[in-house]
Amino acid sequence: MEDKVINQNKPPLSEDSNSCPICLGPMIQDSYLDKCFHKFCFNCIVQWTKVVAGKHRTAPSSVKCPLCKRDNYSIIDEFDGSSFRQHYVNQDFGDSFILSRAHKYRLQCYYTEPGIVEDIFNISQYWKSHKYFQPNQWLKSWLRREIQALVQEEDVDIIVHHIYGVINTSLTRSEQKSHTKIPETKREEFKTSVSEAAKSFLTARTDRFTYEVELFLASGLNVEAYDAVYMQRLGWSSPGVTCGTSDSLLSDRPTVVPYLYIFDEDSDGNE
Amino acid sequence: MQASRARLFKEYKEVQREKAVDPDIQLSCDDSNIFKWTALIKGPSETPFEGGVFQLAFSVPEQYPLQPPQVRFLTKIFHPNVHFKTGEICLDILKNAWSPAWTLQSVCRAIIALMAHPEPDSPLNCDSGNLLRSGDVRGYQSMARMYTKLAAMPKKG
Repeated sequence: MEDKVINQNKPPLSEDSNSCPICLGPMIQDSYLDKCFHKFCFNCIVQWTKVVAGKHRTAPSSVKCPLCKRDNYSIIDEFDGSSFRQHYVNQDFGDSFILSRAHKYRLQCYYTEPGIVEDIFNISQYWKSHKYFQPNQWLKSWLRREIQALVQEEDVDIIVHHIYGVINTSLTRSEQKSHTKIPETKREEFKTSVSEAAKSFLTARTDRFTYEVELFLASGLNVEAYDAVYMQRLGWSSPGVTCGTSDSLLSDRPTVVPYLYIFDEDSDGNE
Repeated sequence: MQASRARLFKEYKEVQREKAVDPDIQLSCDDSNIFKWTALIKGPSETPFEGGVFQLAFSVPEQYPLQPPQVRFLTKIFHPNVHFKTGEICLDILKNAWSPAWTLQSVCRAIIALMAHPEPDSPLNCDSGNLLRSGDVRGYQSMARMYTKLAAMPKKG
């Protein structure tokens, strides 16, 4: 709207250039209307579409853009330069899964450069020292959250079951022939089978996902502890986690800024 | 819902930042309830409301911004689209033409625009609407100006 143009005396907050016209917060999961290409948070525009649909006896197949009133027939999201998802108005986002705070943080990790916590969780050491002999009992719940965040659906049982199975098979397979293989080979085999299993569900995010799986396994931590370390290293604050460890190694790092702004520092964290 | 609260808080910060920029609108939030706001708007120039300061009361629903805020005039005003007794405002964007991209600030601007451009064909104040519809612009203006003086200007002396 034209009234936003006059504010030249604003501090140059990065979120202002990328804030959603509906929640006025930083854009979460950028999505576009198909005709006018105005941009909103996915959840915001979906909710608005539902409100509009609720006013009609039969749900309309289009939604007027809140900004320009143009009729639009679908919402486009997850545009990564080559692929995107398209949701037709009042057709296929009936019950979209609303990401929790923890899901958002995980999703946001995928927009940061890899390698941020690699010096804490030593992946090559994990393979060299055969740490995979001790199974991580939290892997399944970690996987569930990871995949929910990435595919943005609540019911991911089948995918989790499949990938979890592949991971376990791959680890035990290496166990049997461990005396014949060097750690690098085992690692490569593991990565190949995990990415094979995940590829059809996670597409472009597969490689990063495989890396994150390794990282989580190498940590040997439970989900909460893993999150605490990860978030502290990223320099993001997390509700309920007090940064008590005053490791000089951790504290003199600058805050990591992801490519996308998902966290809303204004919203209260007691949900 | 926390969403409405977070958004109102954003608007609150925006209002604090914007205060100097828009001298015609003074929005303020109730100290104890972020869902209750009041605004002081200046009557637009070259209208019978010029020189008056009008108070608006906002009541924001929990579903905001998916639902529009309820707005009414607290200051008496003689205008075809404002109920003379209750201060209720007949404005499409406060009803079916609402869009979540509107803010309390921009609603104030829309109300100022409505003051300058009355819509006599959908009147809430029939006396006022009839004057305009019958072409008695001078009659409408003098009535409106009189009420502006009576209700929206500081008493002299």
